[in-house]
Amino acid sequence: MTRSTAMARGRQSLSRFSEYSWAGLLLIILLLVVIMSVVSDSFLSDFNIFVVLRSVATAVLIGSAQMAVLSIGQMNLSVGAIGGLAAITAGGIMDAYGLPVWLAIIGGLACGAAAGALNGIIVARTGLNAFIVTIATASVFLGLNLGLTSAQPFYDLDPNFTSFGQARFGFFPVMGFITVATMIALAVFYYRTLVGRQLLAVGGNLSAAQTAGIPVGRRVVWAHILSGLLAGGAGMLWASQLGAAQPMIGQSWLLVSFAVPIIGGVALTGGSVRIIGLFLAALIIALINNMLVHLGIDPVYVELLLGLLILGTVWASHVATRSEETKRSLR
Amino acid sequence: MPSILRRNSPRLGLLAVTVGFWLWFAIFATGFTSDFNMFTLLRFAAVQIAIAFGQMIALSAGEMNLSLGAIGGGVAMCAGGLMEVLGLDPLLALPIGLALGALMGAINGFLVVRTGINSFVITLATASVYTGLMLAITQADSYDDLPEAFLTFSRIRVLGYPVSPLVLVMLGAAAALWLLYNKTRLGREILAVGANRRAAAMSGVNVNMTLIKTHMLSGLLAGLAGIMNAAMLADAVPRIGMDWLLPSFAIAVIGGTAITGGTVSVAGAIIGGLLVASITNGVLLLNVSNFFVNLFLGLILLLAVSLDRIRDVVETRLSMGIRR
Repeated sequence: MTRSTAMARGRQSLSRFSEYSWAGLLLIILLLVVIMSVVSDSFLSDFNIFVVLRSVATAVLIGSAQMAVLSIGQMNLSVGAIGGLAAITAGGIMDAYGLPVWLAIIGGLACGAAAGALNGIIVARTGLNAFIVTIATASVFLGLNLGLTSAQPFYDLDPNFTSFGQARFGFFPVMGFITVATMIALAVFYYRTLVGRQLLAVGGNLSAAQTAGIPVGRRVVWAHILSGLLAGGAGMLWASQLGAAQPMIGQSWLLVSFAVPIIGGVALTGGSVRIIGLFLAALIIALINNMLVHLGIDPVYVELLLGLLILGTVWASHVATRSEETKRSLR
Repeated sequence: MPSILRRNSPRLGLLAVTVGFWLWFAIFATGFTSDFNMFTLLRFAAVQIAIAFGQMIALSAGEMNLSLGAIGGGVAMCAGGLMEVLGLDPLLALPIGLALGALMGAINGFLVVRTGINSFVITLATASVYTGLMLAITQADSYDDLPEAFLTFSRIRVLGYPVSPLVLVMLGAAAALWLLYNKTRLGREILAVGANRRAAAMSGVNVNMTLIKTHMLSGLLAGLAGIMNAAMLADAVPRIGMDWLLPSFAIAVIGGTAITGGTVSVAGAIIGGLLVASITNGVLLLNVSNFFVNLFLGLILLLAVSLDRIRDVVETRLSMGIRR
C-alpha cells in the first residue's frame, strides 16, 4: 500500500469517526425530545422551546470561548471570570454612567478582549502553563469585579438591552441570531483565513508550526483574545437574559465551558474545532436541564448527569479511536 | 553558598516573603497578633495546607485533581451524617469518611488509567458526579448537631498555646508525606512517573498502579481536609470544598511543586499555605474590602510562578555559561 493511499484512508476513517460521533449526539437529542414530548404536554410549547434554545445560545458561546483556547492545546479557566467582568463593565457603563447601549456593548467586548490579551501575553511571554496562569487571572478578574461593584448588581440597564434577552420570534430567541452569526464567523475564521489555519496548526503540532515559520507567540495571544471576546459576549447575553448585570455571572461556567466542547468533539490536545458539535452538545445539556425541571426532579441531578455525560463521551471516543487503530493495524 | 541553603533557596525566599507580610500586618493591622487571631489564622492555615497536600500529591505524579473539593465535601457530609443521623462515634465515623475519600480518589485513578484520558477531564467530570450524588443524598441540608468530642477538638488549645489540634493533624499529615516521598519506594515511584512516564515504565515501575495509588492518596487527603474543614466550621455543610480549586493549586505551586510533575515540596506547601492564609486574614484586618482578597491571591500566584520561571531561565543560562 502506498503512502498516499494510506493517508487517504486514514483521512477517510477520520471523517467517518467524526460522522459517527455526530450521529451519537443526534441520537441522544432525538431520544430526549421524543421522551419529553410524550411525558410532558408543555414541552413542545413555543415558550418552552424558546427557553431551551436561549440557554443553548449562551452555552454555545461559553463553549466556543473555551474551544478557542483548546484549539491551540491550552486551557482557559478564566472564561467565567471574564464573562462576569464584561457583564458588569457593560452594566456599569449603562447604569452608573448612563451611556448608550452600543457603547456598553463595545465596552464589554473590549473588556473581554483586554482580559484575554492579558492571559495570552503572560502565557506567550513567560512560557508558563496556561492552566496555572488562567487560574490566577480568574481570581484577579473576580477580585476586580467584586471590588469594583462591592458585589452589588447593576439593575438600571437600558430597556432595549434587557428586552433583548426576552425577545423571540415564535419559539426562536432573538439572542440565537447573535450566536449563529458568531459561530458562522468563527467557522469562516478557522477554515478560510490564514490566521485561523495557523491557530489550528499551532494546536496540531507546535514544533512543526514553528518550523513552518508561524509566529507562534502572536498566535497564542490571538487565541486568548478570541477566547476573551467570546466569553465577554456570553457574559453580556447572560446579563441581558437576567435583566441585570450580576457580578456573580460566570461563576457557574467552569463545567459547562469544558462540557460543551468536549462533548461536541473538540480534542483537548488541540488542532481541531467543531462548530456544529458545540450546538449539539449545548442542546443536549439544555434538554437534560429542561427535562429535570419538567419531571420535577431535583436540579442537583443536572450536575450529576452532566458529569456522567462527559465521562461517557470521552470513553466512547476513546473506544472508537482504539477500534479504528486496531482496524488500521490489521489492514 | 552552602549547598543546603542553595537547595532550599526557593523555600527561603518564600519564607522571607511570608515573614515580611507578617511584619507588615503585625505593625499595621490591629489585632493581627492577638491571641485569638493567631488561633484562628493557624487553624485556617492548617485546613488550607491540608487541601493543598491533596493537590500536591496529584501534581507530583504529573496529574491534576479537580475533584478535590467534591471529595472533601462528600467526605465531610458522609462523616457528619454518620455522626449525627446514625449516632456513630467519631472514632468510627471519621475512618469510614476517609475510606470513602480514598475510594473516590481510586475511582478517579482507575478511570484515568483505563481510558488514558487526561486527568483534568476525568476529575472535572467526576467532581460534578460526586457533588451531584452528595447533594442528592443530603438534600443540601447541613449536619450542625455534631458530637461534642468532634467539636471540641478544633476549639481546644494545645498546652495553652494559640494552636488548635487541627494544626497538629496537618503536621502529622506533612510528616507522613515527607516519609512517603523520602523514605518509601511508592514515593520515589510517584516522582519518577511524574518526571518522565516512559522512563519510569522502562525502569520497571508499574505506571498504572502508581497512578491509581496517587489518586487514592489524593482522595484520602482531600477527605482529611474536608473533615478538618467541618471541624473548623463546627458544621458539616454541603458548601465545603466548593471554593478549594484556587487555594489547592495556588498553595502547592507557590510552595514549589511544579504542575508538570516530578517535583514536590512538603515544607514549601506549609509555608505557601501560611502565606495565603495570612494574606487573606491580614487584608481583612486592614479593612480593605474583602472583595479584593481574590485579587491579591491571584496576583501572588502570578508573581510566584513568574519568579520561579525567571529563576529557571537564569539558572539555565548560568549553567550553560559554566559549561562553555
